[in-house]
Amino acid sequence: MAVYPKIAEIIAAALPCEIERVKPDASLIDDLGAQSIDFLDIVFRIERAFKVKIPRGKIVEEARGDLSAAEFDQRGVVSEAGLQRLRAFLSEVPPERFASPLKVADIPRLFTTETFCKIVIRQQRAQSAPADPKPA
Amino acid sequence: MDAHFRAFSFVDRITSVRNGTQIRGHYAIPSDVDEFPVSLVGEAVGQLAAWAAMSALKFTHRPIAGLAGCIEFPGGAERGPSCPQQLPNGKQLIEPSCGPHDVTEDRNVRAPLSTPSALRESNSAAQSWSSALRPRGVLELAANLEEVDTESVAYSGTAHADGRLVVRLQDCLGPMVPLADLDDPQALANRFDLLCGPGAPPGGFRGLPPLALERTAGETGRRAGATFQVPPSAPFLADHFPRRPVFPGSLLMHLSLQLGAMLASELSAPASSRWGDWTILDMKLRSFIPPGTVLELDARLKQRSEASAILAAEARAGRELLATARLALKAEVNS
Repeated sequence: MAVYPKIAEIIAAALPCEIERVKPDASLIDDLGAQSIDFLDIVFRIERAFKVKIPRGKIVEEARGDLSAAEFDQRGVVSEAGLQRLRAFLSEVPPERFASPLKVADIPRLFTTETFCKIVIRQQRAQSAPADPKPA
Repeated sequence: MDAHFRAFSFVDRITSVRNGTQIRGHYAIPSDVDEFPVSLVGEAVGQLAAWAAMSALKFTHRPIAGLAGCIEFPGGAERGPSCPQQLPNGKQLIEPSCGPHDVTEDRNVRAPLSTPSALRESNSAAQSWSSALRPRGVLELAANLEEVDTESVAYSGTAHADGRLVVRLQDCLGPMVPLADLDDPQALANRFDLLCGPGAPPGGFRGLPPLALERTAGETGRRAGATFQVPPSAPFLADHFPRRPVFPGSLLMHLSLQLGAMLASELSAPASSRWGDWTILDMKLRSFIPPGTVLELDARLKQRSEASAILAAEARAGRELLATARLALKAEVNS
């Protein structure tokens, strides 16, 4: 199944909004008006449509990479190192949207349609990757 | 009388919990309650799932109504409100306790229920039919949790009465909130132990107060609108929830089904048929509805074939969109 058209269809159905408004770089919150319940709905629909699991909170966890929690943010505000990591991880998000200071709670405002496409592709690859062989 | 665990609690006993994810229980509908709409049967299934979720999370969080991919009512749902009354201000007051008026063989278009004789005729036929829809006796409840964590619970479930499927819930998702924001965690934990043990004494639910929709502008066969004011206080509010009373999503569903049924009654069904099985699709509850809120409800015809129709329903408070759903209905041959 082609990922982007299905993701766009899911987002349009969940919000709901005209599918023409669901562009690759559209911010779900700022451009399309998504609320927290819509994020839950979108992830839920994506999981069913693509038969993948998207653990809650995984996006921020993956964005952090090998940075510790303390290195990534202090008192709920993303550090410079954390911002650099976020920009690299969310490479599909226009750079001007990474305002500083950025609160951890506001990270979802950066998410675009393409962000979810990348999540799905990553999860599909992870689920299809062969398991590590056990030592003899 | 303390409304906690009485006024809006629909699980009397939990009979089994397997792996923390499969839960079974039952609820005895009080025999002296006039009305027990099928939307409350759906509420019962949701409450059973909530008990499993709360137990899994050690009563730190509880789910609230959020999303329902599909809620089936085999054999129909509330088919009111076929007894609208004309108010002095020209508006129509719709009592949701009545059933619809059926399409007769010699008419393809329903006559509006504006004449007393039409009201009486539809009332008597509808009430006898409507009472058959109202489940009686013991509801056998089942819920399966597909996933539960501190953010949400995904579940499905069913309710049967006398071996007959009354409600099926699929692809439901309940966002989690800190339990202490809504209720006393220890009281919930104690209640869970009671339900898993001897069970709760039956008969706590004393019925709902009148939930009357006030019809507003519409377009026959295409759109129906109504307003409803959430009571500032009511026993069910005290039990949903004790620390933060909010209008239950299942009662909003009840009202939306009433309005949808009213619109459906304006649609011609095939000869010798009536609108039968109802299914709610993609229901989404976006925010809590506090007591006293004035709701504006809207139902619109979106798709139509000879034997089926899809309505789009929404509820607003002012400009704020509170809930959306689609209502799918199919014609069934009159028995």
